[in-house]
Amino acid sequence: MSNRVIDISNLVKTYQISEEVSVQALKGISLKVKHSEFVAIMGASGSGKSTFMNVLGLLDSPTSGRYVLDSIDVSGLNDNQKAEIRNYKIGFVFQGFNLLSRTTALENIELPMMYRGGVNAGEMRDKARGLLSLVGLAGREGHTPNRLSGGEQQRIAIARALINDPAIILADEPTGNLDTKNTIEVMNIFTRLNRELGITIILVTHEPDVADFTHRKVVFRDGEIIQDTPVRRGKTAGRKK
Amino acid sequence: MNIRNLVITAFRSLAKNKMRSALTSLGVIIGVASVIMMVGIGSSARIAVRDKVFTYGANAMSVTYRIKPFYEKDIEYLRRNVLQIKNITPVAARETVVVKYKNRMMRSRASGVNNEFFTIKEWPLQYGRYFTFLEIASYQKVVILGNTTRLELFGNTDPIGKIVLINNNPFMVIGSLSELGQALSGRDQDNVIILPYTTAAVKISGTRSFEEIIVATYSEKMINDTVTEIKEYFRREHAVPRNQPDDVKVSTSKEKLEMAEFISKTMSLLLAGIASISLIVGGIGIMNIMLVSVSERTREIGIRMAIGAKKNDILTQFLIEATTLSAGGGVVGILIGLLIYFAITAAVGWPFVFSFFSVFVSFLFSCAVGIFFGYYPAKKASSLKPIEALRYE
Repeated sequence: MSNRVIDISNLVKTYQISEEVSVQALKGISLKVKHSEFVAIMGASGSGKSTFMNVLGLLDSPTSGRYVLDSIDVSGLNDNQKAEIRNYKIGFVFQGFNLLSRTTALENIELPMMYRGGVNAGEMRDKARGLLSLVGLAGREGHTPNRLSGGEQQRIAIARALINDPAIILADEPTGNLDTKNTIEVMNIFTRLNRELGITIILVTHEPDVADFTHRKVVFRDGEIIQDTPVRRGKTAGRKK
Repeated sequence: MNIRNLVITAFRSLAKNKMRSALTSLGVIIGVASVIMMVGIGSSARIAVRDKVFTYGANAMSVTYRIKPFYEKDIEYLRRNVLQIKNITPVAARETVVVKYKNRMMRSRASGVNNEFFTIKEWPLQYGRYFTFLEIASYQKVVILGNTTRLELFGNTDPIGKIVLINNNPFMVIGSLSELGQALSGRDQDNVIILPYTTAAVKISGTRSFEEIIVATYSEKMINDTVTEIKEYFRREHAVPRNQPDDVKVSTSKEKLEMAEFISKTMSLLLAGIASISLIVGGIGIMNIMLVSVSERTREIGIRMAIGAKKNDILTQFLIEATTLSAGGGVVGILIGLLIYFAITAAVGWPFVFSFFSVFVSFLFSCAVGIFFGYYPAKKASSLKPIEALRYE
């Protein structure tokens, strides 16, 4: 098995706006992400980073290019196969949390496992409880999202992303709706997941402070990668215990 | 995702909107309840009608003529030669007469018969006695009163032995009949006076002929043969030429029963048909709410798809939701329908008929309504694009 979780070459995404006008959102992107990497994707709005994330998450299909995720070529999969890969291989964390309303924390966390099937209810419950305490919310099992703060909701979302033991976690502006305190809390969880459990994380952000938590910064501009550099250790060292 | 998890998911979604779920089901509840009620009332009415028809006697038939009337010899011949006949009576002076007692007067329907009449009609006496052989043979002026006639003329006093005037002829009351109630046509069967056929023919009609013959066979199976034999006899006796139709008409209780059955069956089909329209309206209600629900839950559908729900998972979930609403409404509707139907039969005094078939069909039909009307919204939900559904505000 290859050491690469993500291997993308020449990825192009073109939006056909009308018959004559088309916009190229991604202009031949190539990116390789190794196992246990913690990557920040940065760029101004309109730079193509969100489109790239959607393609990475198999929510959107590229116009051309090759995308290998965890040794599986996912470029030519149909909708059902993509749904299965999203379920097994990818954990999503969104800016708006995207938890199901009026649904308890535990049920929200279990959701991806419900769609996976073949897991008995007891096992599922145990695993969800474990993840809930991993994100520091033990005791909130029965709380619905409207009774939780933004930070807490995002931590539930992270637990949900983890339940199927995905190959990568894709976080799209996960701190965009959070205040500084909660931002740090959420980023500390990501850091811990990456460092202690070796989980590969790709995170989109436009906040340099957030990017500083990661190990590698990939900067997009006008549908191209203009910078791909390791984050200097010194900056994050201060936050280590 | 396995079906068990989908069912759990669908049930959780419905439980989140208890009020809406209940209101959505209401259409189907009312529809199914009315179907159950209408079908039930239909079958109760059928039994009530059947009981009425059978008061004429299950094996009875009535013979009437077109041209030539009946005579004593016809009765004698049929009694001796048609072996299937158990009871036979002529009916003479089948007409409306004026009955007087002291200062009270009323119109009543006369029938001149023999004692077998009461056996055929299964019509017992309440007071007094039947005719004697001598009274019939010697044209005695005696009368048995129907219940209504007795009440009108005598109230609660004893009528036996009193003299009444029938078309100004004095007759002695020897008995009175038990109550029979209304006929199917609504005519009061108890407003009658029953006379010996001999007396009635001579004193009331002024002839020796009879207008009708009523016959009962030993069993229902013998009815057809008996009808044939009676018709053949009268063709000979009345000398009907070969190319002419029969001179007599034989109508059996069975025919009346079949007619009544047909009418009430048609009625209950009609009622059930009207009721099922409301069931379809209920189904449209479900579709309506499911469509609203799909657009309201677009984001939820997007989330589910992003974390790995396939198109079929979404489709099945929404179908289960719709079917649960309609099938649940069906079950509640069946219970409510049975309850109201029971209350109605108890109030009217009709028999309560539990039809497993109609319950089963209503249940299946309500499930089918859910699947049929739930499919379009479910299809709509499952064909959303995850990326667009997620962005939906």
